[in-house]
Amino acid sequence: MHTDIGTTLATLLAIAWLLPLAGFAVEIFGGYLWGRLSKTAAYIAVGCIATGFVCSVAALLIWGNATGWSALSSQEHHAAAAHSDGVTLPPADDRRPDVAARGQNPAEHAGSAAAADSPAHPGSADQDDEHAATAEDTAAHAANHDGSPAHVAGEHRATGTRAYSGVFYTLAMFGDLVVTIDYYIDSLTLVMFVMVTFIATCIHIFAIGYMSDELTLDYVDHHAHTADGKHVHRPGRFYRFFAYMSLFCFSMLGLVLAGNIFQVFVFWELVGLCSYLLIGFYVERKSATDAANKAFIVNRVGDFGFIVGLMVIWTALGTFRFGETEVCGRRDPGIFQMVRGDDGRLLKTEDGTAVLLRTERDAHGRWQVAAAGQQRTIPYVLLVLAGFGVFCGCVGKSAQFPLQTWLPDAMEGPTPVSALVHSATMVAAGVYLAGRFFPVFTTDVLLIIAYVGCITLFLAATIAVVATDIKRVLAYSTISQLGYMMLGIGVGGWGAGLFHLVTHAFFKSLLFLCSGSVIVGCHHEQDMSRMGGLLKKMPITALTMLVGVIAISGLAIPGLIAFSGYYSKDAILATALAYADHNPLHFPLFVVPLLTAGITAFYMFRLWFYTFCGEPRDPELHAHVHESPAVMTGPLIALAVLAAFCAVGGENGVLYRLIWGSAPEGLAAGVPAAVGNGLALPSTHAVHEVHSRAGALGLLLAVAGTLLAYVIYVRRLLDPADIVRQFKRLHAFLVEKWQFDNVYDAVFVRPVHVVAGWCAAFDRVVLDGIIHASARAAVTVSRWDRLFDEGFVDGLVNLLADVVYRFGALLRVVQTGRLRQYVVFLALGALALFVLLAAFFPGA
Amino acid sequence: MPTLLNELLADTIQRSLHLFVPELIVCATIVVMLLVRVFGLHRWLPARWVTVFGAMVAMAWALYQFVGLRQETLQPAVVFTGMLIVDQFTVFFRVFLLLALVLVTALSVLTEVPDDDDGADFYTLLLGSTLGMMLMAASNHLLMLFLSVEMTSVPSYVMVGFLKGRRRSSEAALKYVVYGAGAAGIMLYGVSLLAGLTGTANLHELAVRIGTLLSAGHVSLGDPILQTALLGVLFVFVGLAFKLSVVPFHFWCPDAFEGAAAEVAGFLSVASKAGAFALLTRFVLAILGDYQPVEVRHVYLVVGIGVGVIAAVTATFGNLAAYAQTNMKRLLAYSTIAHAGYMLMAVAALIVVLTGTAAPTFDVFAEAQRAVQGLLYYLSVYLFMNLGAFAVVAMIRNRLLSEDIDSYQGLAREMPVLCVVMAVCLFSLVGVPPLGGFVGKFMIFASLFQAGFVHWSMWAVLVIGGLNTLFSLFYYVRVLKVMFLGELPEQRPAAAMAASGSSAFAVLLAVPVLLLGVFVHRLSAAANEVAGTLFR
Amino acid sequence: MQPRDSPGNRFAEEWSVEIKGPVGWRPACVYATGVADFEETGMETTASVIGVQHYLLVGAVLFVCGLICMAGKRNAIGVLIGVELVLNGANLNLVAFGQFTPLGLDGQLMSLFVIVLAAAEAAVALAIALNFYNAFVSIDVDRGHTLKG
Repeated sequence: MHTDIGTTLATLLAIAWLLPLAGFAVEIFGGYLWGRLSKTAAYIAVGCIATGFVCSVAALLIWGNATGWSALSSQEHHAAAAHSDGVTLPPADDRRPDVAARGQNPAEHAGSAAAADSPAHPGSADQDDEHAATAEDTAAHAANHDGSPAHVAGEHRATGTRAYSGVFYTLAMFGDLVVTIDYYIDSLTLVMFVMVTFIATCIHIFAIGYMSDELTLDYVDHHAHTADGKHVHRPGRFYRFFAYMSLFCFSMLGLVLAGNIFQVFVFWELVGLCSYLLIGFYVERKSATDAANKAFIVNRVGDFGFIVGLMVIWTALGTFRFGETEVCGRRDPGIFQMVRGDDGRLLKTEDGTAVLLRTERDAHGRWQVAAAGQQRTIPYVLLVLAGFGVFCGCVGKSAQFPLQTWLPDAMEGPTPVSALVHSATMVAAGVYLAGRFFPVFTTDVLLIIAYVGCITLFLAATIAVVATDIKRVLAYSTISQLGYMMLGIGVGGWGAGLFHLVTHAFFKSLLFLCSGSVIVGCHHEQDMSRMGGLLKKMPITALTMLVGVIAISGLAIPGLIAFSGYYSKDAILATALAYADHNPLHFPLFVVPLLTAGITAFYMFRLWFYTFCGEPRDPELHAHVHESPAVMTGPLIALAVLAAFCAVGGENGVLYRLIWGSAPEGLAAGVPAAVGNGLALPSTHAVHEVHSRAGALGLLLAVAGTLLAYVIYVRRLLDPADIVRQFKRLHAFLVEKWQFDNVYDAVFVRPVHVVAGWCAAFDRVVLDGIIHASARAAVTVSRWDRLFDEGFVDGLVNLLADVVYRFGALLRVVQTGRLRQYVVFLALGALALFVLLAAFFPGA
Repeated sequence: MPTLLNELLADTIQRSLHLFVPELIVCATIVVMLLVRVFGLHRWLPARWVTVFGAMVAMAWALYQFVGLRQETLQPAVVFTGMLIVDQFTVFFRVFLLLALVLVTALSVLTEVPDDDDGADFYTLLLGSTLGMMLMAASNHLLMLFLSVEMTSVPSYVMVGFLKGRRRSSEAALKYVVYGAGAAGIMLYGVSLLAGLTGTANLHELAVRIGTLLSAGHVSLGDPILQTALLGVLFVFVGLAFKLSVVPFHFWCPDAFEGAAAEVAGFLSVASKAGAFALLTRFVLAILGDYQPVEVRHVYLVVGIGVGVIAAVTATFGNLAAYAQTNMKRLLAYSTIAHAGYMLMAVAALIVVLTGTAAPTFDVFAEAQRAVQGLLYYLSVYLFMNLGAFAVVAMIRNRLLSEDIDSYQGLAREMPVLCVVMAVCLFSLVGVPPLGGFVGKFMIFASLFQAGFVHWSMWAVLVIGGLNTLFSLFYYVRVLKVMFLGELPEQRPAAAMAASGSSAFAVLLAVPVLLLGVFVHRLSAAANEVAGTLFR
Repeated sequence: MQPRDSPGNRFAEEWSVEIKGPVGWRPACVYATGVADFEETGMETTASVIGVQHYLLVGAVLFVCGLICMAGKRNAIGVLIGVELVLNGANLNLVAFGQFTPLGLDGQLMSLFVIVLAAAEAAVALAIALNFYNAFVSIDVDRGHTLKG
C-alpha cells in the first residue's frame, strides 16, 4: 500500500517535473515550428507548468489522504490523537497493529509535533537524556517498506512525517556502486512542488503579457547599441524565453524531487545554467552578459565548496542518497540514517573525535551502529567539513554573504525571470538544500549558517535603503530575506526558515511581478525617482503591491489580521531570541534581525510611497502610464491573495504544519549546550515561551520603520536629500554596496587579470615557441624520414609485394585449365594426402 | 511385417514430418513453380515470385523452429529412422541457407539473370540445390552425407552452365561436373570403406565404433584397420573438400566461378560452403566420437594437425593466387578459396582441442564449442560480405558488360553507392575492424590460440593465418584503388542501367556486415548456443 | 554361441561385449582376413572361397580404372563412363559389405540409391556435354582450356 502511494506520488511528481522538459524540447524549436509571431510556445509552457501544478496538488492530496493528514492534526494532541484514531488512519492492512496503537498515543506524537504547549511533552526536553545527544534529527525515513520492521522504528514520529524514497531509474551499475535517479518525497517536497509550480504558472501567464513586445520580427533593443551607436535590431525571441523558462522549472523541480545529493548537484548546476541563459536573455546588452557571467562565476565559487562536501560525503559515507532506499534488492541506509539513525541522535565515539555511522539494522529495523570491530565512523571534522561544503553551495546559490554580489546584477534579465529567480526557484534552492540537508549539519555549522544569514540580512537591508532602481530594491530585499531564512535554519528554527521560504516566495514573486507591471506601464523606466503618483493610474498594481509590501514588512494587527510575512518572520525572530537566551554570547543573532525588521519595513514602504504616492516627478512619463492588461494583473491578484493569506494561523496554520511534518527528528526537543559542542539549540517549547515577546518587538520596529517612511516620503517632514547630505559618506558607502564589488574587483578580478596576462604571455612566448620549434623540427625530421621511407621502407615493401606477386603468378601455373589434368590432380591430391598422413603419422 | 510398416509410418508421420516442414515447403515450391508453367500461368505468376514466397515461408518456418528449439517447446530429434537429425545446429543452417536463397533470388530478380522463359528452370535448380544443402546440415547417415552432397552438386553443375551460348559457361560447367563427379566417386568409395569397416552407416554409431576400434589397439599405421579407416575418412574428406574448394581440390573453383554468372558464383561460394561446413563439422564430430581413451588421442591429433596444415596451405594459396588475377569473379573465387582456408582453421582447432586433456584451466568442450561458434559467426558474416561483393560485381556487369578489374577505372564517381558497398565488403573480407569479418576472424584465431595449448602447430597455423590477412589486403585494396582513384575513361559503353533497387539491395547486404562488426553479442551468443547443442 | 579357441573368435567376443553394438557385429578385418567362422553367421562354407576381400579387390580395380579413364579419355562421353566406373566400384564395395558385414541391407540399399543418383548425374552431365558441343562443336574436353590461371 505504501509502496503504491510512494509510486503514485513519484509518478505524479515526475510528470510535473518532466512536463516542462518536454515543453522545453518543443518550445526551443518554436521559431521554426510556429514562427516568431506566434504565442504557441507560451501556451505550451503555461500548459506544461499548469499541469504540473495540478499534478503537484493531486500529489499533495493523495499524500494527505494516505497519511490521514496527521501532519495537520497532530498539532493539538488530544484532539488530534482522537481524530487520527477514529478517522484518518489508512486501511488496517497498511500498518502494523502496534504502530497503529502508537499512533493513538498522544505522547508518542508529541515528539514530532510542533506544539510547545503540549502537556504530554516534557518541558525540560533540553535536559532529557533521551534526546540529549543532539538537536537535529533525521526527517529521512524510507517510505516503501511498509510492514517491515523499519517502520516500527518511527515510533517518535507521526505517520505524516515519513518520507517516500525510491529509485526512478538505474543509470548504471559498477559492482557495488549503483548510479540511480532517485526521488525523496516528504511533505516539504510536496509543499515546494505546489509552491514552485503555482508561482511559476502565475509568472508564465504574466510573462505572456510582459514579453509580448518580443512578438516581432524586428525588435529594437533600446539598451543595446551597435558599434556605430545605433540601437540593435534583432528578431523577437518570445519562444526562446518560454523555452528557457520551462527548462528552468524543470531544473528546479528536479532539484526538489532529487533523492540523492549528487542528483541535487546536477540540477543545481542546471538551475545555474538556466539562470545564466535567462539573465543574459538580452545578449546584445553588455550589462546583461556581464551579469549572466557574474551570476554563473560567483555560483561556481560556492559550488566549489559543494563539490568538496560531495567528495567528503562520498568518501566517508559511500552513498549520496538521502533516505534509506531499496536498490537491487538490497536496502541501504541513506545519509540521514547513517548520521542520525532513526532516533535522530548523533553518536560520537568515546574520545569525541569521530561520529559513529549506523549501517546495520537491528531486529526492529532501526538503523544502528554495527557491532564492535565492524563500526564505520566519520571524523567529526569531516562531518563539519561536509556540512560546511554543502552550505558553501547554498551561500552561492542563495546569494549569501560573501557571495551576494551577483544577485542585484541579475536584475538585467526580464522581470518575470527576476520574479522566478528570486522567489521560487534559484535562490530558494539554496535555502531548500540547507533545510533538506539539515540532519548533516552539526551545531558548529549551524552557527556559521546563522552568522552568515545575520550578516547578509543586515547588509542587504542597508543597501536597499539607498537604492533607487525599483528592481534593485527588491533584489536587496530578497538577499535580506534569504538571510532571515538562513538565520532561522542556523538557530535551529528549521520550520521557521522554510516557512519563511514559502511565504517569501509568494510575496516576493508578487512584488516582482508588480514591479514588472510598473515597468511595463512606465515604458521600461525602472528608476523610482522618476515615478510617483502612479496609484491612480495603476490601481490594481498598486494595491496588490501594497499587499506584498505589508506582507514583507511584517505589519499586522495582532489577533485580528496578519499577512504571511508577519507569521514567518515572527517565527524566525522568536527562534533567534530563544537561541540568544540559551547562548548569551550570540545575542547579535537576535538584535540584528530585529533591527533589520524595522529597516525592511522602512525601505519597502519607501519603495511603495516613492512609486505610487505623492506628485508625479516626471509628468511626461506619468502621462503615458497605463494599467497593465488582464493577463498581467490576473496573476498579480492570485498571488496577492496567497501572499496575504497563505500563512493564516501562523505556526498553528496549515502551511507551517505541513512543512513541520517533515521536520528532522528531535528538533522539537532542542539540544543542550553540553552535547552541542558548547552551543545549545532551543526547543520548540523554549521558542514558544519567548514567542510573544519577540513578536511584539518585531512588530514594534516594523511599525516604526513604516511610520518613518511615511513621515519622510509622504508627509515630507524630513527631506530625503537633506538626510543624504548629512550622511554623505555613509550614503556613498551604501550606494557602493558596502564596496563589495570594488573590493572583489581589486582583490580577485584584477589580480586574476594580471595573472591571466602573464599566463597568456607565457603561452604566447614559451608554449607557442616550443610548439613552433617542434613543428619545424618535425618538418625537418619528416624530410629525412621521407628519404628513408622512399628509399628503404618502400623498397622493402615493394620487394615483398613483388616476391608475393611473383609467387602468386607462379601458383597460377598450376591452374592449367585442362580438365584431364584436374582429374589427375584430384587423384594425386587424395593419394598425396594419404602418403603425407602416413609419413607424418607418429610411430610410423 | 505390417508391424514394421506401421512403425515406419508412425515414425515418419508423427515424429519426422513436422520437423521436416521447411524442406517440404521448398519441395512444394518447386512443384508449384513447375505446375504454374505447365498450366501456362507463368505470365501472371512469375517463377521468381513463387520462389521468393516459398523461400520466405520456409525461412519463417525454420525461424519458428529455431525459436521453438530455443524455448524447448520443440525437442531435437533423430528423424526418418535415423537418416537425419534435427537440432538447433540443423535449424540454424536451415535459416542461414534459406536466407541466402532469398538474397540470391532477390539479386537474380534485380539483375535479371534468368529471362522469363528460363526462370522456372533456374529457380528450380536454385531451390533444389538449397534443399541439398539443408539436408547436408541435417545428415546423420553416410548415405545422406553422399546424397545431400550430390543433391547440392547436380543442380549447381547446371546453374554454372546456365548462361546459354557462352563458351566459357559451358566449359566451366563441364569442368565442374567432371571434377565434381570424380570427387563424388572418391567420397562414395570412402563412404563404402567406412561403412564396411564399422558395419554401420549411422554417424552416431560410427562415432562409437571407430572409437572402439581404435581403443582396441589399432593405432599403429601398420594396422590394416587403421589404414582402412584413415583411407575412408580421407576419401570422404576429399568429397567435402571439393565442396569447400580446399587445396588441392580447388581446381574447379576459379574456372567454374569465372564461367558462371556472378549470382550463381555468389550462391555457390556462400551457401554451398556453409552446407559443406555444417556437414564437415558433423562428420568430424562423428569420427572423433565421444569415446576417446587417452592412448588414441594422437591419432586424432594427427588428423587435426593435417586439417590445420591443409587450412593454412589453402588460405595461403588462395590469397597468393588472387594477386595476379584480372577478372573480378576469378579474384573473388580465389578469395573464396582463401576464406575456406580460414574457416577450415576453425575445424582444425575443433579437432585439436577435442584431443586435449581437460586441465583445470582448459575446458575441452567449452573450447570446442567456441571453435564451432567462431565458424558459425564467420559463416554468417561471410554470407553478407561475400554475397555483397558478388552482388556488386553482378550489378556492375549489368552496367559495364564487363567483369575485368581494369574496366572498373574510376567507377566510384559513376556508381558511388555500389563502390562503397564493395569497399565495405572487401575490407570486411580482409578483416578490418570494426567490420564483421574482423570479429569472425578474431573468433577463429582465438580458438586457434587456445588449440595451440594442446599442440604448438596450431600457433604456427595461427601465424600463417595472420600473415594471410596481411597478404589479402593487397589484392583487395588493388580493386578499390582502381575503383576510387582510377580515372574515369572518356568513353563508356552505353548500356542498361542497373535496376533502381540494386543500390538499395547492395546497401542492405553491407549494413549487416557493419552491424555484425559492432553488435557482436546477439549473434555470437546464438552461435554459441547452437554450437553447444553439438556437445550436449 | 560357443566360444572357439581361435584368436579371431576371442577377439570378436571381446568386441561384442565392449561396444554394445548389434549382436554379431565384428570388425570388418575379421572378414577381410578370412579368419571368421562362417558357420556362426550361417554362411555356407563355400563363401570362404570367395571372401569379401575378392569383392573389395574388384571394387578397387574398378575404382582405379574409372579414375584412369576419367583422366585419360579426351572424349567427354568416355570421361563420363569413367565416372560411372568409379561410382560402381564403390557400389560393389557397398554390396559386398552389405553381404558380409552387419551393414546388411543398408549397404545394398545405399548402392541402389547411388545407382539412381548416378543415372541422374549422367543425365545432367550428358546435357552439359551437349551444351559443350554446342559451344565448341566438339566433345574433346581438351578443347576447353580458355579458363585458366
